[in-house]
Amino acid sequence: MNRRAVLRAGAGLVGAGVVGGCLQTESRSVRSPPLVENRPDAVYYPTHSEGMEMVGSTTAGEYRIAAMYSYPHRFWEVTGSDTNLKKLDGSTAMHFMTVVWDPETETVLPNASLTVELTKEGALADQTNMYAMLSQPMGLHYGNNVEGDGDGTYIASIEVGSVPEGRVRRSGDFQGRFTEPATAEIEFEYSESTRDDLPYQEYDDAGKRAALEPMDMMAPSATVPPEGELPGEVHGTATSGDAAFVVTVQDTVPAGIEGDGQYLSVFAHTPYNRMVLPSMTLSGALAGDSFALEPTLDPDLGYHYGAAVSEVADDDTLSITVDTPPQLTRHEGYEMAFLEMSHMEVQL
Amino acid sequence: MDLDESLPRRRFMKAAVAVGGASALSACLGRAPRAGEPVPEGVSDPSELPQRQHAWNDRVRVDGDGNVHLPRHQAFLYLTLDGDGPPGDEARETVETALGTLDRAYERSNEGLIYSLAYSPSYFDRFGDPLPDSVDLPEPRRLSGFENPEFDTQDALLHLASDRGDVVLEVEEAMFGDRSEANGIAVDATLGDVLIVDDRRTGFIGAGMPAERQAQGGEPISGIPDSLPVPDRSPLFMGFEAGFSGNQATEDYVTIREGPFADGTTKHVANLRQRLGDWYDEQSFEERVMEMFSPGHAEQGLVEGVGDNLGADSGIDAFLDPETIEQSIEEHGRVGHAQKAARANRDADGNVRILRRHVESTDDDLASLHFPSLQRRLSTFEDVREAMNGDDLTDNPAIRQRVNNGILEYIFVQHRGNFLVPPRRHRALPTPRPA
Ligand code: HEM
Repeated sequence: MNRRAVLRAGAGLVGAGVVGGCLQTESRSVRSPPLVENRPDAVYYPTHSEGMEMVGSTTAGEYRIAAMYSYPHRFWEVTGSDTNLKKLDGSTAMHFMTVVWDPETETVLPNASLTVELTKEGALADQTNMYAMLSQPMGLHYGNNVEGDGDGTYIASIEVGSVPEGRVRRSGDFQGRFTEPATAEIEFEYSESTRDDLPYQEYDDAGKRAALEPMDMMAPSATVPPEGELPGEVHGTATSGDAAFVVTVQDTVPAGIEGDGQYLSVFAHTPYNRMVLPSMTLSGALAGDSFALEPTLDPDLGYHYGAAVSEVADDDTLSITVDTPPQLTRHEGYEMAFLEMSHMEVQL
Repeated sequence: MDLDESLPRRRFMKAAVAVGGASALSACLGRAPRAGEPVPEGVSDPSELPQRQHAWNDRVRVDGDGNVHLPRHQAFLYLTLDGDGPPGDEARETVETALGTLDRAYERSNEGLIYSLAYSPSYFDRFGDPLPDSVDLPEPRRLSGFENPEFDTQDALLHLASDRGDVVLEVEEAMFGDRSEANGIAVDATLGDVLIVDDRRTGFIGAGMPAERQAQGGEPISGIPDSLPVPDRSPLFMGFEAGFSGNQATEDYVTIREGPFADGTTKHVANLRQRLGDWYDEQSFEERVMEMFSPGHAEQGLVEGVGDNLGADSGIDAFLDPETIEQSIEEHGRVGHAQKAARANRDADGNVRILRRHVESTDDDLASLHFPSLQRRLSTFEDVREAMNGDDLTDNPAIRQRVNNGILEYIFVQHRGNFLVPPRRHRALPTPRPA
C-alpha cells in the first residue's frame, strides 16, 4: 500500500497566520480533495482518511453508546439506488458519530433512529438526525455533520430510538429487545485546534478497488465472521454489486421465528473487511417456493437475512434477489458499490 | 429591553410579542397610539358569548377559498396554581371575574382578542373524582419511538390570539403584570392573583412572517441555513401553506357531545424544533412536495409555489390507499407527510377528525412550531400521530424512521401537553364533575 501522509492542513495554516473563519474554509478545501475521476461501480480507496477524537462512551437503557467526532465529511444519502451527495457548505464544525450496541453480545445495532442535541453552556448549538452510515474505517455507525459554537465544553444528548420490529425481526433472546428509546448524555471538550490536529492522510492510489483497514474505535464493529467461524453450515457464496453473500443453513429455526424445518441465514457483507450490510430487501426462491429473506437480529447469528424452509436438499439452487439495496448513507469509497445489484444463484 | 425602534411596524409588533413584558407593551403603544388604531370593544354581557371556547373560525379572517387564517400574533401561557389540592371557590370567582374583564374589553375577533383557557390531566388530579367517561384526556406521553419530549403538566394553558401584537401584550400585562386597564376597562381581578406563569411561548402565523423572521441582525436563527431560503409568501418556515378547509375537521366535529363538558373539546399542544438546512439545500422543490404532500403531488405537478393554487383542499385523498402508497414508495423511495397522517385522519364517513391550529415561533432564536390540535377525544390525535410516524411503512428500507419519511427528518418534538378546553360555563377552575 502506497499511502502518503500530507501536512496537517490546519496546523500549516495556523503557522501561516490565518485566523478565524478563514482557517476553516481553507483547511476544509484542503481536507476534501476532489473525488477521483472514473470511480469504479465498486468499493474503492477514498481520496483521504481522517482520524477521530473519542468523545466518550456510556450506557443508556439497554444500549451501550460510544461517540466520537472528526472533521466534517462529505457523504452520500441513498434512496433506492440513487445517491445524493451531501456537500460541505462550511457551516458545520464536525462530523459527529456514534456506535450503538448491545453490551452483552456486542452486537452493533442498525436501524435505531438516532438524534443528537449539542449544547454548549446551556445554549443549543445544533440538533439533528443521525444517519445510519457505512464507512471503510468505521463500518456501521450513525453520523452527521453538525454545527458547533466555538471551543468549549459541550454536552451531547443522544437519543436512541427504538429499533422498529417491522424493520428488523428479533429472534432468540433478542425477542422483545430494543423497543424502548433511551437518552444518554456525554460531556466533552471540543476545540478547533484538536479537530485540526486529527491525523489526515491522502492516498496516491485513490480509486483502486480495495478498502481501508478498519480503525480502532473503542466500540465493537459490525462484521460478519470468517466463513469457518460462522454458525451453521456454509452452503455457498455469491456476489452482487460488489457485496458478498454467504448462505448458511441452521438445523433449527431460531426461537421466535415460525417454522419447524431448517433455517436459511444469509450474511451480506462488504468485500475486503467483511462489514455487515444491513437494510436491504431480499427475497429468495428454493425448489419452487419463494419467500422473503427477512432482516433479523439474533444474539447468536448477529444481523442476517433469514427464512425458515422445510428442508434444504443438496444440489438445490437458491436464488436471491435484491429488491432494495442497502439503504445506508455512504462515506467516500462506498458510494458507488451495493447499488445496482444483480440476481444471484447459489448452488447449495 | 432589546427592541429595535427602527423596524417597520409589523415586524416591530412581532418582535415585541416575542420579547413580552411591560416595556415591550409600552414600546408598542408608544409606536401605535390607540387613538390612531382603536381596538374594538367586547360585549357588555359576557354570557352572550358562545359556549365553545374553541369557536374561532367565524371570528377570524377567511379567504376566498374558505380557508381560515388564524390571528397573526399568539401567546401560550402555561399556568400553575399555587399549592396542592383543589382550588377553592374564591379562586374560581377571581378567574371568572378576570376573564369577564377580557370579554368586555376586547371584541372576540382577530381584531380584538380570541382566547381559550384549558386544563391539564394533572389539574384534574387535584380533585378526588376522576373526569367523566365523556372526556377522553390521558396524560401526555411519548408518541413515537424516536422522541423524548418534556411533558407540560402545568395546570392550565391560556392561549391568546390577535392580529394586534399590542393586544396580546396588553392582556398579559393586565392579567399577570401591573397594568390596571385593558382596552380602557378597569381590571379588578387578575388571573395572576390565582395562577403563576410557569412558561411563556409565543407564535405567529401569516404569509411573509417566517421569511421576515428567518434571520436576526443578518444571522439566520437556529434551524435556518445561511441561504435564508424561506419563500417570501410562505406562512410556514417549511415553505408551504397548511390548514386547507377541506383538510380540517369542523369545530362542530371536534366538540364533545355529552356530559358536563359538552361543547368543550380536547387540545394537544406539541412544540417542535425545525432544522431546515437539508430540507432546502439538499432537496429540489419536487422532493419537498413529495415529502410534504405526496410523491403523486410531485408527479402530477399539483403544487405551485407555496401551494395557494390548491384552493380549499390539498387533494391528498386521491393518494391514500395502501397500494398507491406502496407504489410511490417503490418508485420514489419517499412517502408524504400529509399522505401518511391523513390515513388516520378520516372517519368511516370520510370526515376529517382533527383540527390543526399550528403557528410558527422564534422563541429562543430558533425556528420552531407550536402545534395545537383539537379533537373530540384526545386519543384521536395520538392515532393520527402514529400514522404520521409511518412505522408501518419502514418495511421498505428506503423509508427509515426519520429519513424519506415525510418531514420527520427535519422536526424534533420538544414538548407535549394535553388539555381539556371546557365550555365557557366551566372555564374557571372547573371540578371534574361540575354540576
Ligand atoms: C413543522 C411541522 C409541520 C408542518 C410544516 C406541516 C405542514 C403540513 C402541510 C403543508 C400539510 C398539507 C396541507 C394541509 O392539509 O394542511 C399538512 C398536512 C397534515 N399535517 Fe402537518 N405539518 C407539520 C407537523 C404536523 C404534525 C406534528 C402533525 C401531527 C399529527 C401534523 C398533522 C397533519 C395532518 C393530519 C395532515 C393531513 C390533513 C388531512 O387529513 O388531509 N402535521 N401538514
